[in-house]
Amino acid sequence: MSTTTGLPGGAPREARSTSLIEGYRAIVGDGPIQVLEALGRRLHGHRVVMVNSTATGGGVAEILHRMVGLLNELGVPTTWEVMPGDAAFHAITKTLHNTLHGAPGTLTEQDAEHYHEVTQRAARTLALDGDLVFIHDPQPAALVMHRRQPGQRWLWRCHIDLSHARPEAWEFLAPIVERYDAAIFSHVAFVPSLGLPAFLAPPSIDPLSDKNRELERDEEESLLAPLGLPTRRPWVTQVSRFDRLKDPVGVIDAFRLVRAREPAQLVLAGGSADDDPEGAEVLAEARARAAGLEDVSILELAPDAHRTINALQRHSTVVVQKSLREGFALTVAEALWKRRAVVASAVGGIPLQVLHERTGLLVRSVEGCAYQVTRLLRSPELRRRLGAQGREHVRRNFLHPREARDYLAVFALLLELHGGGGARAAG
Amino acid sequence: MSEDLELHAVVHLVRPLRLRARGLAELREGVAAASPTSLFHHAVQYQLRAPTDDELPPDDFSAWAHGVLQDREAAERLSFAIQSAPRGSEPLRGALLRTLAGLHERPGRAAPEGGEFVFLAVDSVAVSTGVRARDPAGLMEGLARAAPSVWFYHLIERPWFDEADPEVTGWLRARGEDALAGWLAHAAASGRPIGVIRRQLLERWRRRRLGVRVAEAARRPEGERAAAAHDAVAGLVRRLRRPEERS
Repeated sequence: MSTTTGLPGGAPREARSTSLIEGYRAIVGDGPIQVLEALGRRLHGHRVVMVNSTATGGGVAEILHRMVGLLNELGVPTTWEVMPGDAAFHAITKTLHNTLHGAPGTLTEQDAEHYHEVTQRAARTLALDGDLVFIHDPQPAALVMHRRQPGQRWLWRCHIDLSHARPEAWEFLAPIVERYDAAIFSHVAFVPSLGLPAFLAPPSIDPLSDKNRELERDEEESLLAPLGLPTRRPWVTQVSRFDRLKDPVGVIDAFRLVRAREPAQLVLAGGSADDDPEGAEVLAEARARAAGLEDVSILELAPDAHRTINALQRHSTVVVQKSLREGFALTVAEALWKRRAVVASAVGGIPLQVLHERTGLLVRSVEGCAYQVTRLLRSPELRRRLGAQGREHVRRNFLHPREARDYLAVFALLLELHGGGGARAAG
Repeated sequence: MSEDLELHAVVHLVRPLRLRARGLAELREGVAAASPTSLFHHAVQYQLRAPTDDELPPDDFSAWAHGVLQDREAAERLSFAIQSAPRGSEPLRGALLRTLAGLHERPGRAAPEGGEFVFLAVDSVAVSTGVRARDPAGLMEGLARAAPSVWFYHLIERPWFDEADPEVTGWLRARGEDALAGWLAHAAASGRPIGVIRRQLLERWRRRRLGVRVAEAARRPEGERAAAAHDAVAGLVRRLRRPEERS
């Protein structure tokens, strides 16, 4: 399944004429890249395998798509494996995902058996022979029980918010996670009680990707034209998978309050990830709620519609992320990077990105969302100030070079903890 | 005398501890129990979070007292304690405990749910940048191009954990650069932002090198000497004018 690029078979490839490292150097400056290169030299010769459950759709696949290329450029051979699974497996892991977020749901004994059966089968086929095996999220987590080789280090990366996890969901996952050498979480509030080192590292976006690179005005217009969206009114946009935890219905309810006071167009744009069986259901719920509202547009986008999303975000006057639970919400970082004014829920990792009244506006209710969207629609100066500060905040903290740096540093630390190179742990 | 000075960058990996505080009394208990790497993270490492700014961002303890507890007096006294404590975890712990002991818990000043102070610790991963300085000029050249974390590691972090002047100052003294070493030792202990120390050190070095260049130019042909003298005078004029511009 691995190729010479390190990407799995189904992962999209973007055309690139220059090296990632030089591209990032032009954006973040020489200092952070020097540190990355130094870490790359330190880990030279160690092989890394990344594993998640989908090659397309969702933030994790997007991060891996670029991270794998970057680590390879830095001289750390890295491959990416995608955990295979049937429909029942994806339904089980979706329930696990939702219940870890605190939503209702139950995993039966049969579910647990099927989860382990599929994992065991996958463990026989996946190429997991790196020095460091880096598993993302709960779906492939149990691979550690079936394929761990002596001398390997296994690292679990949790991208989701465990702060409201249902106890039975965490009881199912905890014994699996305890088999790892270390874990990484996006936010301090997500870290459960664990008997292994737990590091904090928020995820990041790629400023060079089709979704985030600068667009010429002509290109932006040509991308938006086929969508047929009204252009006379300012756009209030939420870009997210159609997932109940992203609360598309709540966005529509907030927009109903906004439109009574300010003219605007709500654009709800999203697709669904390969491993998300609920997407169609949630999309239907949103369509039903928006029935009869001419100033609400619901767009179902293909998983590779990155340039369209880029154009939608850039054309928006206000970007909303009214999630009920979040791991991190990369769409917020994307919007901030494009200097957009953002209104977002104070959940999960969003407050790390949206510093209230400094880089965006945080809300906790439908009414709060309506109030802040209205406020931004009325104030170009506030939008400009928040947008400029938001971009700088993302440049410093939420671009791929920073996340790659954190991962490489964890690798270096783990390898040294087990008799590897010479990383020095102060104190 | 022959050993090179190798420049290292540092990455700080943050780990949560089990310690939390909802008010000043619990903060005091947490400070008493926190590991040195936790005190380092909250009261020293914050300097690296905005390394190019002329003003230091607030440390974590005073930021929490100000922003969450809304206790301005506690915030300013904690800030002062942190900025004036000698290097090292125990001197800092002592300064914080004395300050917190002098602050009375105000009724109603407990953090709301979700606003607790969570003690974090860091693992520092130092990596060689591949730059090795053989002499002071090479060091300045390397530092001029180095990332802020290189400056932080050599001037702030290692001296803090070692409770000693930066290794680099001893290295400079061994090469006859006593004045520069003395200035750097003072600057590193002063609590000035890294960006400011960087600017001031490189400026001092440039000025010092100017005299050396003039002396070297005296041995050169007339045309080259004239150009060097011109540069020296121009620099002098700039320095003389600077106080006037400030006044």
